Amino acid sequence: MNHAPLVDERRPMRNPEVWLRQADGENVVYDPAREAVHVMNTTAVAIWVLCDGHTAPTEMIEAVCALSALPYEVVEEDVMRILDEFDRAGVISWTG
Amino acid sequence: MTDQDEPPIRVLLADGQSLFRDAMRVVLEARPDFQVVAEAADGMHAVAEAERTEPDLALVDADLPNGDGIRTTRLILERQPDCRVLFLSEHEDDRGLIASLEAGATGFVTKGSPIGELIEVARRVRAGETTIPPQMLGTLLAGLIRNKREHDEALRRLARLTRREREVLALLAKGADNEGIAQPLVISPETARTHVQNVLGKLGVHSRLEAAAFVIQNGLIDELVGAEA
Repeated sequence: MNHAPLVDERRPMRNPEVWLRQADGENVVYDPAREAVHVMNTTAVAIWVLCDGHTAPTEMIEAVCALSALPYEVVEEDVMRILDEFDRAGVISWTG
Repeated sequence: MTDQDEPPIRVLLADGQSLFRDAMRVVLEARPDFQVVAEAADGMHAVAEAERTEPDLALVDADLPNGDGIRTTRLILERQPDCRVLFLSEHEDDRGLIASLEAGATGFVTKGSPIGELIEVARRVRAGETTIPPQMLGTLLAGLIRNKREHDEALRRLARLTRREREVLALLAKGADNEGIAQPLVISPETARTHVQNVLGKLGVHSRLEAAAFVIQNGLIDELVGAEA
């Protein structure tokens, strides 16, 4: 099945003020503007790295599928949930 | 915990350093679920030992002499498709990680990892899991996306070619000159030359060599197979 990204699909972009700290197996995103700290699991960190303003959610989903061999629908649900959490936490914006 | 009734995981150790191989053999054979069936100090020897012993799992070092770890991984899996490859690297090398997975490895561990972690990853890889260091997941996914974009772009450029131009490109990729292109296609060398110029222009490359590299580097051989028939 072809899940090629739509040309006008919006791309998530990390808030440049927010930074990621990885140490001792823990991943923490710190948002100085909101004085908020978000603890992330490994998958969330990977998605965070991909939030560069150029990568579409469809591309993220396909890459995770290629690596994990999990069904597209399962990965799609996980990725979109993570992006939704980022969005609600205000650590990403959307371009395109 | 392992099942005592299960046969041990038969392991091939491929590493250029005898000290590392000796250490790994001692560590693995101290566990009842591992059996080291072969060792190799270079890539060619590793491939030959894989054919001879049909291991369940090959631990392949990235910097193997005489055939490097990536090529060795690919050759082992061509000859022993049921074998799993756990790739060992000195560093967290993003390009090496992506190349090893593209070659067919399903596990990646740095040599600085604790031995218990290496053992656990070896078990999981043998069980069919794909296992990489969690901190490398983001860059790995970014690399996979980058590679897919490049491949898609290459396919877009290839789609500009007519069937005849694909035939010409297939022959170019094999190193054919104008005469070598003209003969199988039953055209004149001058016509072949015109087709070549058109192919180069449509692909946006500047030489025959670059066109051949475009095909090989983007894995487009299969896309052209049949075009030249």
